[in-house]
Amino acid sequence: MQAIQVENLSKTFRVKRKEKGMRGSVKAIFHPQTEEIRAVNGVSFSVPEGEILAFIGPNGAGKSTTIKMLTGILYPDGGRVEVLGVDPTKQRRQLAYQIGTVFGQKEQLWTHLTPHDNFRFFGAIYDLTERETEVRIDELSERFALKDFIDIPVRNLSLGQRIRCEMVVALIHKPKVLFLDEPTIGLDPVVKENVRELVKQMNREEHTTIFLTSHDVGDIEKLCRRIIIVNDGRIVMDDSVEHLKSHYPHKQAADIVEQDRGNEAAGSGDISDASLEDIIVEIYKSQGEE
Amino acid sequence: MYGWGKRNAAGALSLARGRGGRVKGMPWRKYAVIYRLVLLENLQYAANIVVGFFSYAVFIYTFIMLWEYMYRTPGELIAGYTKEQMIWYVMMTEMIWFGSGAASVAREVSTDIRGGNIAYLMNKPYHYTLYVLAKYTGEWSVRLPMYAMLAAGIGTLMVGPLPGFPLTAVPGMAVCVVLGLTINAVFKMCISLFSFWIEDAAPFQWLYDKLLLIVGTMFPVEIFPKALQPLFKLTPIYTVFYGPAKLIVDFSPEKCVEILAAQAVYLAAGCGLMFLIYGKGVKKLYVNGG
Repeated sequence: MQAIQVENLSKTFRVKRKEKGMRGSVKAIFHPQTEEIRAVNGVSFSVPEGEILAFIGPNGAGKSTTIKMLTGILYPDGGRVEVLGVDPTKQRRQLAYQIGTVFGQKEQLWTHLTPHDNFRFFGAIYDLTERETEVRIDELSERFALKDFIDIPVRNLSLGQRIRCEMVVALIHKPKVLFLDEPTIGLDPVVKENVRELVKQMNREEHTTIFLTSHDVGDIEKLCRRIIIVNDGRIVMDDSVEHLKSHYPHKQAADIVEQDRGNEAAGSGDISDASLEDIIVEIYKSQGEE
Repeated sequence: MYGWGKRNAAGALSLARGRGGRVKGMPWRKYAVIYRLVLLENLQYAANIVVGFFSYAVFIYTFIMLWEYMYRTPGELIAGYTKEQMIWYVMMTEMIWFGSGAASVAREVSTDIRGGNIAYLMNKPYHYTLYVLAKYTGEWSVRLPMYAMLAAGIGTLMVGPLPGFPLTAVPGMAVCVVLGLTINAVFKMCISLFSFWIEDAAPFQWLYDKLLLIVGTMFPVEIFPKALQPLFKLTPIYTVFYGPAKLIVDFSPEKCVEILAAQAVYLAAGCGLMFLIYGKGVKKLYVNGG
């Protein structure tokens, strides 16, 4: 059963170009120049229900644009998308009841409210009854260990506490698919680990499909079995993390890079993290050279 | 099972029912919750509104002096208005202008579209425009009554109560004022929604505001040349300012019904236009990736 199906998806943006200085500004009024940028270029993939997928790539590769098309925020120029069997562009609001989103760089909580009030608010937004919302709040606040700060205004919480609350907001309506866009950005290693555990738990217990983008290799290695790497709007690799680590032809080169790091990496006692990171960097670099 | 073209089977069913039992037949509940939250937030900052009283008082004092000078003889009529009626008319329109704070609605929509924040608001199961309207209603629900009390106080002290004004007219007038504010917000949102196509809708907002301010609030429509008056009555001036303010100086149930009917037509047309522009514009949305 496929939770997400994408076929030949494309999105082009038209951006303005302006020459420098006053002359350029005046010229742009009478002869505006634009340039087309292919943010996503013929991407095809599918995600089975219950899978945790890493969708990664360098900055500007088209990851967030793809997420925005999957959630119905952006309209594709070409191709087809189905999430949970519906077209996000045609049934965006109906689909919103079935998906959750966490954008690590964008807060969706109302900062003057307490987490508890925020959860009640989002429960109403998702048409849950008050009783259902309270039951779900109890369940999630237990799981995400929010009891100590659930009644403190969000503006007074630490980043780690806020991200946990963001996760609860995204899960309040029991979504079938969870989109996580850099959920651990800016968090300390302990909180990161905590968030990863919670994501795994949600996936295990509620069978939630998770679509993850992250620049943190730790997120990918500890959460995902499958990885899709995009660059320049195209998929350059779609493989299992295990297979990538053991069979990628550049592994040897990556190992050399790792050895060059000397005792620092060895001393960390976590060679496997560095190895995947080096492989990913190698892939990014090799794509950049083509 | 999900798959291409299978949404009418399991997909559609699960979208309709969701995972938990959802509140059916109460689509406005979520907007009421948004309204309540913003209202509570604004109540905390009610003291800040008092600062704006100074501008209103100066404005009204200037107009009282102007009309004191213009009306040289007692009982004189200008454009069919006595001095007291003219001053109460201006106080009413300025109360609506200051109390509505409609600039915030325009600013919010423009900023959301240009800054890309709209992407994070669109993926929730509510209509973005109604979400903004609900928030705005929560804002003016605190501000407008405060300005109404100020206007009543200044008017009674400096001009005296209007002879022949029935207190029973207050509920009808209040409904007209509320509808007028909503119509104004809808039209300002329509202008801001053009930010989907143009870089900055502010110049159009400026033109609209100045038209309303000069023609709608400072003088009654009857002051202007007869040839222009029917034209002004076709603009939002009639439903937003002139209509509700006219009721305070010349109330009759028939006039109240006439204004309410015009407002209903305007609101329906304005909302239709707003949904149309939003529906078209959202397909043009360009949001930078991450």
